[in-house]
Amino acid sequence: MKIKTIFTLCPSLILSVLLSVPSYASEPAEDPLSSVMWDYNRQIFLGDTPYVFDDRVRVGVPDFAEDPTQVPVDVDASAFAGDIQRIVAWADLNPIQHIFTYYPHPDVVPKVSLRIKVQQSTPVRAAVLTKDGVWHVGGNLLAASGGGCTTPSVGNADPYWESHLGETKSRVFQLADASRYKFRVIHPMDTGLVGSIPEFFIQQVELRDTRGSALVRMELSPPVSENPVITFDVAKQDTKHHLWLRDNNGNEFEKAL
Amino acid sequence: MNTINPFNLIARMAVAVCLLMTATVGQAVSLEYQIKPQQIAKDTYILQGKMQDFSRKNGGNIMNTAFVVTSEGVVVFDTGPSLRYGKAMLAAIKQVTDKPVLHVFNSHQHPDHFLGNQAFSGAKIWALPKTGEQIAQNGNAFAENMYRMVGDWMRSTEVVLPTAPLKFERLQVGDHSFRFYSFSGHTGADLVMMDETTGVMFAADMVFFQRMLTTPHTPGVNIWIQELRRLADIPFTLMVPGHGPVVKDTRGVDQMLGYLRWLDTTLKLAADQGKSMHEVMQTRLPAAFTDINLGQQEFLRSVVHLYPSYEEAAF
Repeated sequence: MKIKTIFTLCPSLILSVLLSVPSYASEPAEDPLSSVMWDYNRQIFLGDTPYVFDDRVRVGVPDFAEDPTQVPVDVDASAFAGDIQRIVAWADLNPIQHIFTYYPHPDVVPKVSLRIKVQQSTPVRAAVLTKDGVWHVGGNLLAASGGGCTTPSVGNADPYWESHLGETKSRVFQLADASRYKFRVIHPMDTGLVGSIPEFFIQQVELRDTRGSALVRMELSPPVSENPVITFDVAKQDTKHHLWLRDNNGNEFEKAL
Repeated sequence: MNTINPFNLIARMAVAVCLLMTATVGQAVSLEYQIKPQQIAKDTYILQGKMQDFSRKNGGNIMNTAFVVTSEGVVVFDTGPSLRYGKAMLAAIKQVTDKPVLHVFNSHQHPDHFLGNQAFSGAKIWALPKTGEQIAQNGNAFAENMYRMVGDWMRSTEVVLPTAPLKFERLQVGDHSFRFYSFSGHTGADLVMMDETTGVMFAADMVFFQRMLTTPHTPGVNIWIQELRRLADIPFTLMVPGHGPVVKDTRGVDQMLGYLRWLDTTLKLAADQGKSMHEVMQTRLPAAFTDINLGQQEFLRSVVHLYPSYEEAAF
């Protein structure tokens, strides 16, 4: 009896699923970077939400990773300023794919730069979820000799970081149409992929105004390079901000900017 | 009697496969360094490498090596990127003289300057003490990287450490007097050899000419600039750069100074403007440097090596 019910329900279920899926998702576009890991990572980061490949999401990486532990990445989603729920960045062929998730306030220019570790040549992607519930996916290929995620951090050979953990330097720069916050924080950002060195990394970054509300909220993963150097661009700088960081061991660091 | 013997069939197929493989191997380029000693002064020869990056095509032959035939024996300055190169260099020396190789000098820790050491086991291999330590520490990693970049050219190449730390300033070998200068601008320990008998300066990688300089182990652009000024004060008749053509004048040093000063200014300005590393990489080389081989490519590498310290200074 039960089995029969399922069978009777099935056709209508299939029909309803088919009807609810937007047309571009039913015929998924081909990955412009031809990555073997596209479908796998899409499932993890975008799930079944509709998506389009979109050149307006600009992911700046060099052609070749001169240093696989310090690869510069710029993500520029300013074409979608004010219309963003969140931005997710990942590297397809890294053992830990996720790089960051970024929740920009409407007053922020959705542009971020940092440096990452890569284990081998890989596509580096950023997906922007706009308010209409569609992911816009950009990306670029990066060639690398590899090993960036399984190389012990430089700090590991030098106890300097132990007494300087979380020490932050920062500066505000005036750009033509925005203010840029740039900071560097001492942290080993251990991936957990090096023998006997557990995962130890800054997990949360927030740029807060005096009332404590966040202009920028960012979640980082271990592929972000050791002693992260990160920039955020803010459209108007009419209030004081401070930076708040927290690592996966619960250490919190704060710095007035 | 006409039945097919399966074993016979397999044998025939095997022969066919073998023939096919031989044909393929026959088409492969033979790995032979086309190096010819070029006499640049009395008793003095160089083997000039290509002004390129490491590749499977050039087998890593991108640097200049040199040898001086003294009345007593041969002095070798740098041994190239592989055992195969070291052997080819030794064969090139034998074309010129029957005298034995007495002294080998490794100018610095980079793999294209010492991985041919294996071919010179009969000679004393000198290097600055710090270079010896650097090769002991980084040599195997450099060699592995070379296997990855140039492939089979590296076959059987192993790191042979310098056998003797160079602590003297002068050395007389037969009828040639050599003077040694210790610098650090390129890799932290950089040997320059002056043959005072001929006036030829073997500047190694302290000087690149028409091939863009590399910076992965420089202690700092400003240190390199200061040392190049000192180096320019040493009189010479011919200068053999580590990469690029031999020069009679200071053009090599001038080009280096021009570029290093531009690099320093550019990175300092970028850091003061708050640029990200990737934004700095979008900088195009000024016209004065665009005809230097691999200019833009080496600039990108240098930004990765150097920009973090400029950023740090700008906070």
